[in-house]
Amino acid sequence: MASVEMPRGSLPVQNTSRAKKLQYLGILSGFTAGAWLGAAEAPTKLVTIGIPPMVISLIMVIGVFLARWSLPALILGTSSVRADVRRAPHLIIWAVLAGCLWAVANTLTIFAIRDIGLSIAFPLWNSNSLLGIFWGFFFFNELRQAGWRRWTGVLGGALVMCAGATLLAIASSTQAPAGHSLRGVWAALGAGILWGTMYIPYRKAYLTGMNPLSFITFFTFGELGMMSALAVSYTGLSPLWQELTSARSVIFWLMLGGFIWVIGDLFQQYAAKYVGISRGIPLSNSNQLWGLLWGIFVFGELHGRSSSTYLQVIGGSLLMMLGVGAIAFSSAAADEQARWKEAAQREVRRYGVEADYVEARMNGRQAADELVKPSRSAWDWLLVAGASGIFVLFAAIARVPQMSLHWGPVALLIAALLLLLLICGLALWRTTRFN
Amino acid sequence: MERNEITNVTSSRLTSVLTDIHFWVPVAVLLAGLLLLKFIR
Repeated sequence: MASVEMPRGSLPVQNTSRAKKLQYLGILSGFTAGAWLGAAEAPTKLVTIGIPPMVISLIMVIGVFLARWSLPALILGTSSVRADVRRAPHLIIWAVLAGCLWAVANTLTIFAIRDIGLSIAFPLWNSNSLLGIFWGFFFFNELRQAGWRRWTGVLGGALVMCAGATLLAIASSTQAPAGHSLRGVWAALGAGILWGTMYIPYRKAYLTGMNPLSFITFFTFGELGMMSALAVSYTGLSPLWQELTSARSVIFWLMLGGFIWVIGDLFQQYAAKYVGISRGIPLSNSNQLWGLLWGIFVFGELHGRSSSTYLQVIGGSLLMMLGVGAIAFSSAAADEQARWKEAAQREVRRYGVEADYVEARMNGRQAADELVKPSRSAWDWLLVAGASGIFVLFAAIARVPQMSLHWGPVALLIAALLLLLLICGLALWRTTRFN
Repeated sequence: MERNEITNVTSSRLTSVLTDIHFWVPVAVLLAGLLLLKFIR
């Protein structure tokens, strides 16, 4: 098997320009991920009735499950997912494992917020990006031979973002710590460690060449399976069913939140693929900034608060933007990328994955023996129609919440989201055809 | 014959997974997370 033939002399130049293009693409994906992950909080804010947090999480994850199967079917078709799995079947284990890690971390955050409040809990679990940098360096050769300037940009940027996130969390928090502080600290730190470690499977999958669209379809089995097991063990099957049926009028909003989250997460996966976890994860952690924009301008959350709160918000936002900028300008140079390839070679040798496939996918291309054009079958359209039908069904019985929303900012933020989706989606399509 | 080859490939892949540090680190962290959940409940 051979990769696409090119004239010998032009190869290094083309490879360098291609690598640069993929770096920019990864950074753009990170920005877009932040915007969409932040927006995912908006529909959940519409749910004001007293539903237990565990049930809210479970309903969101059901929405996530539907989106994680229907989006890949719509974009590339399940045949592409099957082809990916045939090349590297061992990665299914890591995808399911990552989904389990996510579900346990998400449950821990519920306890952390309850026990110590968002303002203390958020900065603690936001440390996941620092752990992501460590795992990226330790296991996958990220930031090796990167030079002190890039180290300072990435590590300094992530630390500045953590400081900004702390200020934003303090400003947006309305909860007072409710005792059990040590338990809450452990829960928040635990969530950070679980999320930070979840990036090991991410990076492993993308170094091996797996398409993010394939990875997330298996990730979601771990996510839904673990979340269901936790919800059943915490609430009991019968009470859980009662909670779900009594919440049917708001299920649509929570599932919509899950759907928007999946779009953000998909871009986060592309960021992890093209700029690595050490840069991609901090970039997509800018979601807190976007979540706050929705909170302040759409839901009027800080209305009537003191000027010091607004100063904290402005300061925190500036710090977040500074951190994002520092990371964005520290993209990996040729030496570092050569080390990434060495990490990919380990996967090739260990799991017997075809080297051409790994190299082509690292460059955002199809391997020479892959189908030129992905095809969708009747099964794919059935999946898309089924998922859409479930959303329409719950939309039909959804109750429109009685809340005063500021529609001007809603329109502006949605326009910004769609613009980012269009720009980043087009850039991904033109450069990689979503490979 | 072919079935034997498939079984060999599957078992060698499983061995590769089970001897991979990239597998055990997330597994250990997941188990620790579940234990933590059990204690703080």
